[in-house]
Amino acid sequence: MRKVSITTRLTLLFAGTSATVLLGLGILISKSLDAHFASEDYSALEERIELIQKTSIESTAETLPVKLETALKNYPGFIAQVTSRDRGIVYATEKFDFVLPNTIAKTTKRFEWTENGQKYRGVVYRSPPGSRNLGDLTILVGLSTLIHEHFMGSFTYTLFAFVLGATVLCGLLGWWAARRGLEPLRAMSNRANTVTGSHLHERMPVESVPVEIADLAHTLNAMLARLQLDFQRLSDFSSDIAHELRTPITNMMTQTHVTLTQRRSNENYRDIMASNAEEMQRLARMISDMLYLAKTENGLNLPSSEDVFLDKEIEALFEFYDALAEDKIVTLSATGASVIRGDKLMIRRAISNVLSNALRHAHPQTCIRVQILEENSKSIINITNTGDVIPANQIASIFDRFFRSDKSRTRPDSEGVGLGLSITKAIMIAHNGAIGVTSDNDKTTFTLVFG
Amino acid sequence: MKLLVVEDEVKTGEYLRQGLAEAGFVVDLATNGLDGHHLAMTEAYDLIILDVMLPDVDGWRILETLRKSDMSVPVLFLTARDSVADRVKGLELGADDYLVKPFAFAELLARVRTLLRRGSQAVAPDRVQVGDLILDLSRRRASRAGRRITLTSKEFALLELLVRRRGEVLPRSLIASQVWDMNFDSDTNVIDVAVRRLRAKIDDQFETKLIQTVRGMGYVIDEPEIDAPA
Repeated sequence: MRKVSITTRLTLLFAGTSATVLLGLGILISKSLDAHFASEDYSALEERIELIQKTSIESTAETLPVKLETALKNYPGFIAQVTSRDRGIVYATEKFDFVLPNTIAKTTKRFEWTENGQKYRGVVYRSPPGSRNLGDLTILVGLSTLIHEHFMGSFTYTLFAFVLGATVLCGLLGWWAARRGLEPLRAMSNRANTVTGSHLHERMPVESVPVEIADLAHTLNAMLARLQLDFQRLSDFSSDIAHELRTPITNMMTQTHVTLTQRRSNENYRDIMASNAEEMQRLARMISDMLYLAKTENGLNLPSSEDVFLDKEIEALFEFYDALAEDKIVTLSATGASVIRGDKLMIRRAISNVLSNALRHAHPQTCIRVQILEENSKSIINITNTGDVIPANQIASIFDRFFRSDKSRTRPDSEGVGLGLSITKAIMIAHNGAIGVTSDNDKTTFTLVFG
Repeated sequence: MKLLVVEDEVKTGEYLRQGLAEAGFVVDLATNGLDGHHLAMTEAYDLIILDVMLPDVDGWRILETLRKSDMSVPVLFLTARDSVADRVKGLELGADDYLVKPFAFAELLARVRTLLRRGSQAVAPDRVQVGDLILDLSRRRASRAGRRITLTSKEFALLELLVRRRGEVLPRSLIASQVWDMNFDSDTNVIDVAVRRLRAKIDDQFETKLIQTVRGMGYVIDEPEIDAPA
């Protein structure tokens, strides 16, 4: 089922609310009007009773009708009946040709009844025994409500007409307000339509929209900013890949083409093949490193959770790098111990990359110090080497993919493909950790913090 | 030793066949899943190399039928997609090992030999020997031409690996993983330095060099043949 639009909903809501409120008010007014009329009627009737009573006291049975006729002729619309216990009906107005049901006459003072389709209000009065002249009298007066009914009829009619009109008007108002209120959303939707991969810099208009929608616009803008950043990273990554792949492929292609232009010795062919094999191995390594990095960064390489003894890992890595370090006349030393939860293989890889980097940049006859600390329930590994410092303007980008400290120099084979530190960073982040670097005074320290 | 290679990429398949044949194996090549399936079920092989991405009957199906019919021939599968799910699936279906494309041929060869050796491995010998180099595995001592050579434990482990697999070219990644337990692409330079230091102790003072570098592939230990290039 299609959802009802906000405009329709608001219109209906406005119309419905105003109809309910106005109808309620109208009913309330008519009720109180009715009550007001009734109390006026009854007090007028009671006055008449008093008048009749007074008149009856001063009269005899013979003079009473004449006296009452004169007294009551100023009040049109009244009907009255005076009954004496001894003599029956002593007086009755002209139209009084009906009999009251006994129950009403005996039990109630004020009452209503319907006679010949005509509604009446009435009051009955029984004079106390021992009245002079006429003895016990029952006085009954009544008043037709016809005039009130006419009034109430026209009142109700006007009320309904008004409510109907007001409802339609309020509905229209609601429709207009909703359209006006939703205008900024339409503007945002138009803006959103212009956002594409190549136009990710477009933002929602925050200033020109109402406060409530500004929040939404801010949220959307933040989302767009994140997307833009991710998109930028992705396209940077693609162009990096293209660039990095181009070099080894060009090497292989040139070499192979040059070789093919002439006949050469077997020895020569073998050389070319071996060199190609080396280039291709680098390519394969680069591809697998990039995949690994992409997966780790995007949370597809979920680290397993086991106890990792950091000192044991450092020890194993020292054994691995031992020969290389001796070759460079660099000593390796480690202090401290700590256990963390994490993925052993990933953590070993992360530390390995930093150690390899430290060894590459260490000056001969220095020492690479690895320090394992525990601080605020966090495990920290500091890896410090003595060597050329990283220039301040490069510190920020040292964890970028394919970062090279010297762009012009071709990388020696040992240096891998320039993804090592990026992979380390991704692994640390996958472990809710962090990595940082400081470099001055010939000392470069990488700090790995496991959260 | 008879191997079956199921690989739909013709060029790759041909090179695999050539390489394995030159390494001394008898190789059948199937270039589609249907043939591969038929051959695997009817012929007796010592090992099957299976590409899992085949256009018709995929590698998983072949592996499944094999295991269902109780054929325990070792299977090494090749996959281009390096996803954990793929690897787990293969191993759960009963594969014995896997390689992710692109792989080094030396690596494939080493794995094939390991799988073939598995099970048939007799009691480990106490002594292994290449030429006049003798390794006493129980006492972890090495000597050449009667002269004792002092090695660190990792140097001995490296030498042992090479000697146990004499004649096989071992890629650097395999050496790093077997000797140092570095099961990821690590600094290959480390292996070169380690081998160089080992050479200094094993080969430098002798006329015949046992440890040889195969450029672009890795290292091998063997007695040099007369016509082999240095």
